[in-house]
Amino acid sequence: MIDALHLPLLDFDLGVVREYLFKDIIVRGALRTLWISVLAQAIGVALGILAAVSRNLRIPVASWIASLYVWFFRGTPLLLQLFFWFFVVPQNVPGDFGLGPFQFRHDWFLFSPFQAALIGLAVNEGAYMAEIVRAGIESIESGQMDASKALGMTNLQAMRLVILPQAVRVVVPPTGNEFISMLKNSSLASVISYNELLFVTKGEYTRNLKVIELVTVAGMWYLFFTSVFSVLQAELEARLRPEQERGGLLAILGRAINPPGDWHGATGDRR
Amino acid sequence: MNESSDAMVRIIDVHKRFGRNEVLKGVSFDVARGEVVVILGPSGSGKSTLLRLISHLDAIDKGHIYVDGHRVGYEERDGRLRPLGDSAASRSRADVGMVFQRFNLFPHLDALANVNTAPVHVKGISKKRAVERGTELLKLVGLGDKLHAYPAQLSGGQQQRVAIARALAMEPKVMLFDEATSALDPELVGEVLEVMKLLARQGMTMIVVTHEMGFAREVADRVMLVDGGIIVESNTPAEFFDHPQNERTRSFLSKIL
Repeated sequence: MIDALHLPLLDFDLGVVREYLFKDIIVRGALRTLWISVLAQAIGVALGILAAVSRNLRIPVASWIASLYVWFFRGTPLLLQLFFWFFVVPQNVPGDFGLGPFQFRHDWFLFSPFQAALIGLAVNEGAYMAEIVRAGIESIESGQMDASKALGMTNLQAMRLVILPQAVRVVVPPTGNEFISMLKNSSLASVISYNELLFVTKGEYTRNLKVIELVTVAGMWYLFFTSVFSVLQAELEARLRPEQERGGLLAILGRAINPPGDWHGATGDRR
Repeated sequence: MNESSDAMVRIIDVHKRFGRNEVLKGVSFDVARGEVVVILGPSGSGKSTLLRLISHLDAIDKGHIYVDGHRVGYEERDGRLRPLGDSAASRSRADVGMVFQRFNLFPHLDALANVNTAPVHVKGISKKRAVERGTELLKLVGLGDKLHAYPAQLSGGQQQRVAIARALAMEPKVMLFDEATSALDPELVGEVLEVMKLLARQGMTMIVVTHEMGFAREVADRVMLVDGGIIVESNTPAEFFDHPQNERTRSFLSKIL
């Protein structure tokens, strides 16, 4: 072979890409990426709601813990947090211990790569979601809380029945962005040996040295996931658009086209 | 801890300040069962604040408020007042119905759900019973055909009538109206006032902050002028409007009549 004009890119073998794109080990890695992202995002949303509500209602102790939580996990790198859960925690829980009424066993803290990655991604995400949910809660006018309390609702009932359902519309768009970031950030779990997409990709190219092809394959999977979720996000946002329920010119136009009785297409008694 | 009295609402020397601004400087009055008291006054005179204190949406700095002999949002222990915790305060608030200037309907719920939510979740009555009662109340305020309309699909007057039905659903002992018609287009004011008159005729105890002099004259048992954080004058509507005793009342009435 004469390779005077041999540029690295010309080494690109489309055949290798075709071979690996749907290869079992790669597809499994891609599905693990998807799975851990969905799980971590779901837990992150729950943590975020807990933290945001604690802070908004100034619940003693809980709001203080929530502030500390957000400060710490937004202020340190995700990669460092993953190291923390995978290397530091298991090695520093010396034995079984009790904390108040709770008993903890040493071996609960010997996290598998999946467990450490899930905890790391979810706990980190929760800190960001806390800020997003807080902005959502603060976007609801104070009259809604006044009306809820005047009807005898407790703070938590007002949150659950009145404030959070309305905050959803403000919270969904940034949460979609967070999830797309999560799909990509989950690749950091490869450094603590969780066999998600990037980890299995590295495993393959270390063996066959087809680096560019395999990195391309991984990139195509990430782009596929993020594209699909971008479309889903746009669709979800369109369904939550506010004109129908807010009043004003858009509502009037909306009602002219779509007569009263339905609310974003839902019929009958929604409760 | 119970203040025995025939009064449905007792307000004793109530003070409230926001920062440096002392909004209420010692307000006292009683409202008898079934009585309708209309409070007039220039904007910023503390009328709305007074209603927010009665419903315990804001804390009292000094003084006492009793509704049907019970404090709202506070308990007296060892001779000292202590604010109740969230859930106890919420229970005590349910006796006081409040209607707001900006309606404050829940935009994500239809009219019936706006009315039903608190009875089901706060009072714990069955959903079936709540639907029956909610439907009755919406019929009472003339919205029997709008049970499943969302707030954005209703006019301001209709929204305020839903808000009145929503407050009534908690079977309050007293209803507070905070400029309930001020945000409405003029042609929609009448329908809300009609509902308020209906409640008054049915014997509901009401404290009404309003600028509707016709309503005050026709429906009120007593009219009060609040200005500068105190009650300037309090009298029957006829005396209040036709023979005002206080110079400030005369000057207030001359500006608005």
